[in-house]
Amino acid sequence: MSTPREHIIKSYDDELTRLTGEIVRMGELAVTQLEAAIDVIERRDERAAQRVVINDDAIDHMEQEISHDVVRLLALRAPIAGDLRNVFAALRIAADIERIGDYAANVAKRSIPLSMVAPVTPTRSLGHLAELAAAEVRSVLKAYQERDAEAAYKVWKDDADLDDAYTALFRQLLTYMMEDPRNITPCTHLLFMAKNIERIGDHATNIAENVWFLVHGEPLTKQRVKRDLTSSPDMEPPV
Amino acid sequence: MTDPAFSPAPAAEAAMVHAGNGTPAPAKITVRDLNFFYNGFHALKGISMDIPEKQVTAIIGPSGCGKSTLLRIFNRIYNIYPKLEAKGEIVLDGENILDPKYSLNRLRSKVGMVFQKPVPFPMTIFENVAYGIRHHERLGRAEMENRVEQALRSAALWDEVKDKLKQNALGLSGGQQQRLCIARGIALKPEVLLLDEPTSALDPIATSRIEQLVEELKADFTIVIVTHNMQQAARCSDQTAFMYLGELIEFDKTEKIFTKPNKKQTEDYITGRFG
Amino acid sequence: MAGNNALYVRRRIANIVALLLSSLATLIGLFFLAWILWETLKQGISALSPTLFTKITAYGEDGGLANAMVGSLLINFIGIAIATPIGVMAGMWLAEYANRSKLGASVRFLNDILLSAPSIVLGLFVYTIVVLPMKNLTDGAITFSGLAGGIALSLIALPVVVRTTDEMLRLVPSTLREAALSLGVPQWKLTMQILVRSARSGIITGVLLALARISGETAPLLFTAFGNNYMSLNPIDKMASLPQVIYQYANDPGEGLHAIAWAGAFVVTMFVLLLSLGSRLLFARSKVSND
Repeated sequence: MSTPREHIIKSYDDELTRLTGEIVRMGELAVTQLEAAIDVIERRDERAAQRVVINDDAIDHMEQEISHDVVRLLALRAPIAGDLRNVFAALRIAADIERIGDYAANVAKRSIPLSMVAPVTPTRSLGHLAELAAAEVRSVLKAYQERDAEAAYKVWKDDADLDDAYTALFRQLLTYMMEDPRNITPCTHLLFMAKNIERIGDHATNIAENVWFLVHGEPLTKQRVKRDLTSSPDMEPPV
Repeated sequence: MTDPAFSPAPAAEAAMVHAGNGTPAPAKITVRDLNFFYNGFHALKGISMDIPEKQVTAIIGPSGCGKSTLLRIFNRIYNIYPKLEAKGEIVLDGENILDPKYSLNRLRSKVGMVFQKPVPFPMTIFENVAYGIRHHERLGRAEMENRVEQALRSAALWDEVKDKLKQNALGLSGGQQQRLCIARGIALKPEVLLLDEPTSALDPIATSRIEQLVEELKADFTIVIVTHNMQQAARCSDQTAFMYLGELIEFDKTEKIFTKPNKKQTEDYITGRFG
Repeated sequence: MAGNNALYVRRRIANIVALLLSSLATLIGLFFLAWILWETLKQGISALSPTLFTKITAYGEDGGLANAMVGSLLINFIGIAIATPIGVMAGMWLAEYANRSKLGASVRFLNDILLSAPSIVLGLFVYTIVVLPMKNLTDGAITFSGLAGGIALSLIALPVVVRTTDEMLRLVPSTLREAALSLGVPQWKLTMQILVRSARSGIITGVLLALARISGETAPLLFTAFGNNYMSLNPIDKMASLPQVIYQYANDPGEGLHAIAWAGAFVVTMFVLLLSLGSRLLFARSKVSND
């Protein structure tokens, strides 16, 4: 997308630029939270986990700031056309990022009971899943910052990979639980954490849809392969 | 891996931006219990307000609410019409300007005014700006040229007229004429600039230019703008006063007025529900 | 539907009738105007010769109108020279200082009466207050004079100048006054430097119209400038003028003088026409530049 011409009233540009900046910062914070959450799982560090949980407040606070800015912009600038989509998308993207932050905090929260029991092997796979999700959120934030609808579309399409990874981990966890009932507790926690991370990917695709709308002014209507197959009946544990 | 104990600075910084508007600036003009009558008609009823220094204060309200009247009292331009009477106090820098002993000449060199329709004088562009200065100060040729250029630059007009300063100002476009009138006003180096619906005769682009100019000028001047365009008040003011039937209904930060006004009357007016 | 159609037809007919009637009225007016010009030109053209402008009236049928033309110019000049400053100042006072006052309203009313006063009355008035006292003061050495004629014409021109100046100044938007006053400029500077400048072309138009008005006046000159068959540039001597000579020649039984009178009438008519055109041009141009 070509750089739009400036508004005659410069402070309007300043406010729109600031809004984008706030969203990007909020998104980065959410990704950092996700990575920190995985880090505390591996280190089995309860206090660090608590910090991640507490830090989610900062993301919530930023979302409030953005809502406030959006209301202010709508009330005082009466944005229209591209500016309106810009402001509208910002509000929706902020809500998605806020959810991503919540999921990251949830992952950190579950790492505390997880660290109370003996480590299990699939924990490493969870790290891999989280890396995929973090990369996805980073890419979509970059697409948002650069108003790059194609890049956003790619993230949206590639979410299938995260779904695949989640399905694989799901199978793996089921196998571990069947092998040894002592694994059930940690694996159930891991299952919930995996689901949280998979949901982060879904919110990243929501953001991608909003970037698409922001640029093109119409919803992203292409077909996407859903590959989270964990709820299908053939998801029987291998015997 | 990143340290999870990140600094919360970004959020705090974002909060600062909003607080920027909130710091109360010292009042430049203090209006106390102002009543105004013409031909016995009670046009302004007990107006009291503090107009902060170096900020933009907008006055909005339906036609006939007294907003223009109030503005015209700030430089006592009403004095040219008979049968008008103002009671109360308007304190500018500690002195009551309604006091008959307050020199009109001094008042008008401190308080400049720009009107609804652009009214350039029937002379050259240069003379339009120099005319007012000449009345108040004796300047050498070079000094005068400097002052005129400065004023035209501040009014964002210099680049458009620098090659035709000797041409008649009536040949400029409406938007340019209005910026020339602003230049004429600020050439006297006033402290307060009164704008009486300055864009109502201009097209949207010229309007945006004036609004951008207002935003730049508030670094140096205390600006009071009367407008019947609510969006204009929203876009370019820091404070907004809503007036109705000669009374000041609400006076607050613009953001507050346009997102959560305290009075139902204000909300009804700005949302277009006025009965 | 049919009813609507009938209504529509009726309206169209009414429209056509109104258009025809008003066009006819315009044509009648224009017809007489053209006829007057044509008749003046036709009758005067035979006497339009260089001698008309070079010879004086003393030669009668063999002479011209040189002294009358010069006399007319001089008398008109005196009239305008007196009426313009007084008229403009009075108009300024009316528009800027006395605009809304009772006194202003009464002065405006009196001025309108003066505007429509019969010119012969003004001639008699000047005869009484200028010609007779001069005669008494100088023991009859100075009686009728170009100056007295100029004074009489100035009384006719004055209300025209007052009225147009007043009107033109009041046409200047009040915001221009407010703009100047808000710069701290005092009233007199505002009036002299800005308002008069804004209304300049309108005021000049008014003066030209006044000039056109007085250049055809005959009656007041009969009692004041009287007439003179010789060239005179002395303002306190009797002076000839075109309208007065035309009046005199037209009353003469001799056919030759009639032709010269027609030629004089043609010259006066052209002069007035050119003045009107000039003032219109001036006003039209100022209108454009004001937009």
